[in-house]
Amino acid sequence: MDQLPPAVEIRNLVKDFKTSFRRQLLRAVDGVSIKIMPGEVYGLIGPNGSGKSTTMKALLGLVAPTSGQCAIFGMDSLRVDSRNDVGFLPENPYFYKHLSGAETLRFYGKLCGLKGKLLEERVSELLELVDLEGARDRRLGGYSKGMLQRIGLAQALVQDPRLLILDEPTAGVDPVGSRQIRDLIFKLRERGKTVFLCSHLLEQVQEVCDHVGIIFQGKMVKEGPLEELIAIEDQTEIILQDASPELISSIHSLIEKSHSGSLVRIGKPRTTLERLFLRETVKDQQR
Amino acid sequence: MSSSTHSLGSHVSRISVIAMHAFTQLVRMKVFYFLVVFGIIMIASNFFDLPQHDGPESMGLNVLRSIKSWSLGTMTLFSVVLAIVATALLLPKDVEDRTLYTILAKPVPRLDYLAGKLLGVLLLVFVSLMLMNLLMTVALHLRTGMVLKEQLQMAENLGWPQATIDAMKAETLQQGPSWSLQGAVFAVFLRASIMASLALLISTFSTSTLFTTIISFLIYFIGHFQADARDVYLQSGEAGQGVFTRLVSLLVSLVLPDFQLFNVIDAVIQGQTLPLITLGKLTLVGLFYALFFTLASWFVFSEKEF
Repeated sequence: MDQLPPAVEIRNLVKDFKTSFRRQLLRAVDGVSIKIMPGEVYGLIGPNGSGKSTTMKALLGLVAPTSGQCAIFGMDSLRVDSRNDVGFLPENPYFYKHLSGAETLRFYGKLCGLKGKLLEERVSELLELVDLEGARDRRLGGYSKGMLQRIGLAQALVQDPRLLILDEPTAGVDPVGSRQIRDLIFKLRERGKTVFLCSHLLEQVQEVCDHVGIIFQGKMVKEGPLEELIAIEDQTEIILQDASPELISSIHSLIEKSHSGSLVRIGKPRTTLERLFLRETVKDQQR
Repeated sequence: MSSSTHSLGSHVSRISVIAMHAFTQLVRMKVFYFLVVFGIIMIASNFFDLPQHDGPESMGLNVLRSIKSWSLGTMTLFSVVLAIVATALLLPKDVEDRTLYTILAKPVPRLDYLAGKLLGVLLLVFVSLMLMNLLMTVALHLRTGMVLKEQLQMAENLGWPQATIDAMKAETLQQGPSWSLQGAVFAVFLRASIMASLALLISTFSTSTLFTTIISFLIYFIGHFQADARDVYLQSGEAGQGVFTRLVSLLVSLVLPDFQLFNVIDAVIQGQTLPLITLGKLTLVGLFYALFFTLASWFVFSEKEF
């Protein structure tokens, strides 16, 4: 049986840019290789200017690699038809302010060859998915940052691509908007979409991604399945619900008796500030 | 940078989607307000009845020429300004707003994008010219009727023979709405099309709308006297004999359109007929430059990185 081609395959990507000083080259990406299999959610993390966006642009054919190859589902990404199966959301997208939400999706849908009833159904379906049905006829000039990111995600999904490339999908969005976008990524993962996202918001990447790559100064410094990368191999975590003081005391004495391990920490697990914020703001809205 | 093969949808449908979008974008920028200015100019031109030194049979003809002259002049100005500024605006705006990324990240060949943008601007120029043309034709038709009525009354009072009246009538009608006048409007459109495609080429490597606009206008003005300058140079002694000189001259005429070819519009204002062969020649010139500049734009744009 033929094996499915990787959704994304970047091999030894190198990208040099000319700086304002003549003949001086700036290496933005230096020998990066990434392989993302269909259905995976891959997060590329790194500080600003580390080469994340350039890697994504090379994958989309927006910049040409100095050396190395990029392929989408086995097709060279410099070919226009490799983008039949890709949706892209750039960082801080503006879109056309003179168009409404529905017109925006219609425009991108038509570019992908959709038309007639099929296009209209797709527009409605996507507006529902990103929770913008109420703003379908409002011009994008009046959209908030979070709404713009969501309509951006909808346009990326318009031709129902198998691969989604998201560049800082939650940049500049408030925690509620950010949560909505994350929930959308979860939904997409459930639908079997491959997602390649880059962000410097590590907590979010940890929450949604199953594979992670860390890029620094143009080089891939660490890569692999998230669980493997973040697990502390020589420690074990046990979380108990409604444990009595007696039980805790017994566990303490058990550990003391055994000479095979030592207790590192005992205490109450903490929620994140983000979860607390969401819980409190959602509660306020419901009052 | 991109090679094109089987992308979703056809080239024609993609180009027309981008063209209609560019047209809508420009219309929503409220560019049609200039029609009000055109209307005022049209009304004003009705009062420019210059003193005439011809016989009484020519009375009122100057007003008809004035209407045509002001209308075609304004059409030229508006169409060229619209063609250059709109084209110079659209491309950098898409890059700045990063909307270009979202379009090129779809299966859209770069040539389709450029052709769509250009056709959108041309559609806007065409619609604008048609609206101005409609206003001019209606005004000219009404005014020609008025002039004819005055002339016939005068001829009747003076007891002119029928043959003289018919000659006068023919001369007046020649100054009214005619197919030649429609041809002149089409020539105005062709000239604006050349300028739009030239602005498209400049905007593919320029870094600002202002630079594109200034260079385009500069080339537009140079285009009005480049033929003279070339002729003078080629005919000055030995300069015209060398192969190199002739090649340079050919290159100059390839890059800089000779806008003197469009002087036929002035002849139409004077009431002369625009021969079909001349209009055909102008169409070929317009098509050649529009295609040449668009393909050159594609050549630059296909290698551009964002």
